[in-house]
Amino acid sequence: MDIAPYALQLFSGLSRAMVLFLLSAGLSLIFGVMNILNFAHATLWLLSGYVTFSIFTFLSEQFGASPWMLLPAIVCTVALMSLLGFALERFLIRHTYERELPEQLLLTFALVLILGDVIKLIWGLENRRINLGVQPIEMLDTMVNPYQFVIIGTGVTVAAGLWYFLHRTRFGKIVRAAVYSRNMVSALGIRIPMIYAMVFALGVGLAALASGVFLPLLPMSLGVDHDIIVQCFAVVVIGGFGSMLGTFVASIIVGVVYSFSILFWPDGALAMIFLILIVVLIWRPWGLFGTELRY
Amino acid sequence: MSAYNGNWWSRFYARYGLSGRFALIMLVFFLLVPLLPGEFWTHVGTEILILGLFAMSFNLLYGYMGQISFGHAAFFGLGAYATAMLFTALKTPAGAIGVPEFLLSLLVGPPVAALGALIVGFFCVRLTGIYFAMLSLAFGELLFYIVFSWYSFTKGDDGIQGLLPPLYFQDAGNYYYLTLAIVVVALLAMWRITESPFGYIMRTLRDNQRRAAYLGINVRLHMLMNFVIAGTFAGLAGALWGPFSRSVSPGLLGWQESGIAVFMTLIGGAGAFIGPIVGSVIYTMLQAVVKMYTVYWPLTIGTVILLIVLFLPGGVLGLIEKRIRLRRGEAAQAMEQAASMAEKP
Amino acid sequence: MAAILEVTDLHKHFGGVHVTRNVNFSMEEGEQSAIIGPNGAGKSTLMNLLTGYHRCDAGKVVFEGQDITNWPPHRIARMGISRAFQVSSIFAKMTVADNVRSAVHAQMRRSFDIFGSAARVGIEETARVLELSGLGAKHGLVAGELAQGDKKRLELAIALAGKPRLLFLDEPTAGMSIDEARGTMELVDRLNRELRLTVLFTEHDMGIVFNHARKLTLLHRGEIVVQGTPAEVRANETAQKVYLGEHHA
Repeated sequence: MDIAPYALQLFSGLSRAMVLFLLSAGLSLIFGVMNILNFAHATLWLLSGYVTFSIFTFLSEQFGASPWMLLPAIVCTVALMSLLGFALERFLIRHTYERELPEQLLLTFALVLILGDVIKLIWGLENRRINLGVQPIEMLDTMVNPYQFVIIGTGVTVAAGLWYFLHRTRFGKIVRAAVYSRNMVSALGIRIPMIYAMVFALGVGLAALASGVFLPLLPMSLGVDHDIIVQCFAVVVIGGFGSMLGTFVASIIVGVVYSFSILFWPDGALAMIFLILIVVLIWRPWGLFGTELRY
Repeated sequence: MSAYNGNWWSRFYARYGLSGRFALIMLVFFLLVPLLPGEFWTHVGTEILILGLFAMSFNLLYGYMGQISFGHAAFFGLGAYATAMLFTALKTPAGAIGVPEFLLSLLVGPPVAALGALIVGFFCVRLTGIYFAMLSLAFGELLFYIVFSWYSFTKGDDGIQGLLPPLYFQDAGNYYYLTLAIVVVALLAMWRITESPFGYIMRTLRDNQRRAAYLGINVRLHMLMNFVIAGTFAGLAGALWGPFSRSVSPGLLGWQESGIAVFMTLIGGAGAFIGPIVGSVIYTMLQAVVKMYTVYWPLTIGTVILLIVLFLPGGVLGLIEKRIRLRRGEAAQAMEQAASMAEKP
Repeated sequence: MAAILEVTDLHKHFGGVHVTRNVNFSMEEGEQSAIIGPNGAGKSTLMNLLTGYHRCDAGKVVFEGQDITNWPPHRIARMGISRAFQVSSIFAKMTVADNVRSAVHAQMRRSFDIFGSAARVGIEETARVLELSGLGAKHGLVAGELAQGDKKRLELAIALAGKPRLLFLDEPTAGMSIDEARGTMELVDRLNRELRLTVLFTEHDMGIVFNHARKLTLLHRGEIVVQGTPAEVRANETAQKVYLGEHHA
């Protein structure tokens, strides 16, 4: 049996999964800590992609074209977008904590529309992609894009880094505690508003990182955020809100299922994802690794 | 100050509330729209009515039952597609369709949507809050992708084209009045439902589901019934949409389309019966005007929604209601003061 | 007189914590009794178990000869059991009248009625319940804006609208002034007398308990420690130790 196509699909599935993970980790964290479902998460990711592209292009013009220019571009973007995330939380999102769920959802929904047009305003309608000039290499009798290794590696590293951050650092432990009970954390004298702002900034920063990593693989174009955000929702719900392990596992499930569905039912690959999402919501709404509290 | 002593206008308000007054005023305007020169405003009016009906059906779930559904457009789309398919089957090879066949094709939209709502609702009513929102979104997207990818049955992304109504209804004004008639009847039915014992049970489900169960209410069954009713009206709106825009496409089932219903309800005010229609008027007219000058409509409506969420969560009607109550409160206070002062020797 | 309610070997645990253990008791028709005990004794949990809010891990609840163990709350309510909550659980955005009227509609089995006019169905019954609970003048107020005592009254009114034969009251006088508390308990007494309504209430206020309950059940750490008339319980040494904190289950 020729395993090459399956191996190929598994491979691309894993790299897809890592992109989804990087993007969904922030979403899951934000919802877990602040109970805000950030519809605009993928749009911020898209914005980050355009920003990364612009910085990359600028640096390449200044210092000579080289794939290594991508690294500082990503770093700059992460910094800028984290700042933007901080500002968004501080000036907009903060006002909706006392409100009902639908109003919170609508606020972030509105941001999807606003930011989407901001991208159109600044960068116009064309796609943006970065060509790192990476040659495909031969593996298992088939051609493989080695950049996918980079993506998988980045995803795993970030996952490990996040785990370390959440479980071994003081701030991380506070964040995890806040997922369980913000009242308790507040009662311990820790300033919740600051925590929220920083968590949101962290979430957006992760999305920015995801976009930078993604850029050499596929072009960024208007409307991609609309498709991807529902996949992120699927990942976060399947894995469980607020659980990084859940997000990681669910990303792999969704990424791999999608890739293999392409082989058998190309048009319905996404339908498969939603089917899984529906089954999880009916059988176990708080996800594989989530806790049965927040409703 | 009894409203029953006042003129018929305040008596009308006492019986039918702010919504009643607005509905009456708007009906007068709606009746006069086709008299405007050209077809543009008649088209806009038809769109306001159809999408307004869609938004009203959404509010049955949101304002009255307290749940937000991001997959409600699926039933709008199901109604549109059912009508479109029967329409296509009934029309002649030349593309013409007779009036009875046309009306028949309209008739098939709501039941198909109702069936869809029954199946989807069966699962959704087991959840509430964010999980209800997520599951409804998931079902909506699932249905969207099924329609999108089942090319042999639905023509997939190409959509179904050529839905040309009978000659009489190709005139924008005639189609408009047909739509107006259907929407008015639908709204009267919705008013009856929301003011019935069932309608008030819905409000109890919105305010306190647990307590409602202790009243002896089978919460899931009641939610399902409301879900199906809402889906049916959405299907009716969808049925009207196809022949109006001459085509249907899978996007009608997606979450962006669901978002339109949510926006309209929010703008007009979810707490008032006629809120979604008011929202539809504002939304659709704003869209028509903005699109004449710029392509950045999403930026505009996004900003409007942002401002409303932050400063005007009750929508336009909510604001007016608050003002009226304040003024009545002041008037009542003033009367109390006058009365107590009159008592002093 | 036949027992209207029989509870046998009721048992409930959350994780490793046993909140209800070996609870056995019964109530006769027309009885008015109280469950007492220190905080955390499991009074509210017991009420939750009896009204279907939690599932029992073991045991049986029989009402009027019918086994209602682990029935869902709405089925139990339709059997004629009503409950008032400790923290007022009302329909905050609706008016007082609408609150009671919807409860009446539910009792009349008209909750699926989409054709009738809510304002015209069950009016007399709604007015009757409102007058009974002392809320007649306030019928137009929005429930969420009521004062605490009125919310409790509304809570009771909603429970009464269900025409129950067995009424559970979870701390009915909590947060009330002395006058209000007296008024409420007098109403409960009257209902018990005139309608032969069986009443089980939980209370902290011993004065109320001794004046308004025929039988007391003392709960401690989920177990029944003492049962009997108020005088018997007052004289009981174990009961005294429980309240003084010296008793260990």
